Amino acid sequence: MLDERKVKLMTKLALYEHTQGKEDFKISEYYRKDYAGMHIFSSVIWVTVGYVCVAMLIAFAGFDALMDNLSNSLLLMLLMIFVVGYFGVVVIYAVISSHIYNQKHKEARMRVKKYNHDLTRLLKWYEREKK
Amino acid sequence: MDGVFVLKGKLQEVYAQHSIIFDKGIQFIMALLAFYLINNNIGFMKVAASPVVTLALSVICTFFPVLMTVIAATALILVHMYAVSIAVLAVTAVVFLVMYIFYFRLTPKMSVVVLLMPLAFAFKIPFAVPLAYALVSTPVCMVAVVCGTVVYFMMEYVKKVAPGLSGKGLSGIMSQSSEYLKQVFQNKEMWIIIAAFLIAFLAAYTIRRQSMNHAWKAAAAAGAIINVVVNIVGDIVLGVHTSYASLAAGSVAAVIVGLVLELLFFAVDYTKSENLQYEDDEYYYYVKAVPKLSVATPEKTVKRINGRRETEIIDTESVRRRRDREVHGDRSPARTAPRGNAEHSRGTSRPR
Repeated sequence: MLDERKVKLMTKLALYEHTQGKEDFKISEYYRKDYAGMHIFSSVIWVTVGYVCVAMLIAFAGFDALMDNLSNSLLLMLLMIFVVGYFGVVVIYAVISSHIYNQKHKEARMRVKKYNHDLTRLLKWYEREKK
Repeated sequence: MDGVFVLKGKLQEVYAQHSIIFDKGIQFIMALLAFYLINNNIGFMKVAASPVVTLALSVICTFFPVLMTVIAATALILVHMYAVSIAVLAVTAVVFLVMYIFYFRLTPKMSVVVLLMPLAFAFKIPFAVPLAYALVSTPVCMVAVVCGTVVYFMMEYVKKVAPGLSGKGLSGIMSQSSEYLKQVFQNKEMWIIIAAFLIAFLAAYTIRRQSMNHAWKAAAAAGAIINVVVNIVGDIVLGVHTSYASLAAGSVAAVIVGLVLELLFFAVDYTKSENLQYEDDEYYYYVKAVPKLSVATPEKTVKRINGRRETEIIDTESVRRRRDREVHGDRSPARTAPRGNAEHSRGTSRPR
């Protein structure tokens, strides 16, 4: 005899496993600090690449003007702006990444907990049926 | 107005029944329009710009998530840029890479906005996208709107200057890259439009979140007005000439899009709103409760005027007895039906 409530629960579990669950299970393998730290590190690397790209684009755009007014003091000033800007951007992105990935881990953990709770309910049903 | 809500209810029912068909249909149309737009505007590589490729790419992308359409569109743009020159390809690729690194890596779902913005520009309703996202989403989308606008202006520039691009060797590449970047990122019209979108987005978003009546309508109207005003002021101050007629028409169209979104996502009945006030140990609460508007879809009842009707149940046993009495009189023995065989039949009358 089919138990409607059990079918509903199993459908819910299967749906979660095939959609959000895939990513959630991977995320929940890590502690929150590890997960956030790992992504902050990769963000810093990506931002470094991005920052160099932006600097290159700006250099290309202002190449003629730079060549016309080239001097040691100008180069030093541009270098300082480049370095200060880099640290500023890295700090901002580290903060943003930290917030995003901490939140993501928190939400994933909550969903996995709910999934585990439902799974336990299902197992109890099976045990009851066996008896 | 009730008719509109009934129509909405019916549409929701139809969508719920065939959601996969609708989703994939919309995705196919979006992909087809995007690829057609790219091939039509910057289709410098003839093989990639053919209708067969456009159709094939659209069909393939339909069966993948929306993100795949964005990736395919990016690849198609880069292929056409390669046909123009290496310099244009390199600059475009680096711009896309920067967009990915600083924004889309964190919110991949927003990348669809980059696809929608050039489409909206092509249909002369560019403000519809920022306004729609201001109504249904958060200010995080503003970056995606800016990226989409930049992509559109990059395509516009390449479309205009590609036939005249010249210069070979390293110096040629350098000068082309420099010129491309200057023309795109020093384009006053682009920055005016971006400023107008951002200010209008923030205004619309702020008003939409207020608890006042008809906040969504007010947000759409205010956003459209601010968009027009900022564009006009920017044009006057920076000396750019844009068509005010198309600007006004685009803003009106965006407001209509906003009203449709309100109908779909925020249908409430302000006439029945209630203002409550209460307190606990720490706070006073001023709550405004606005009921959601729901109009039940009327069920059609068919009244048959000349249909077949059921009559009362006839006791056939008593009819038989009466007939026997009439035919044989009281002398004949009464015929009784065997026990348990008494049958009740349903008769039908002729239609009146």
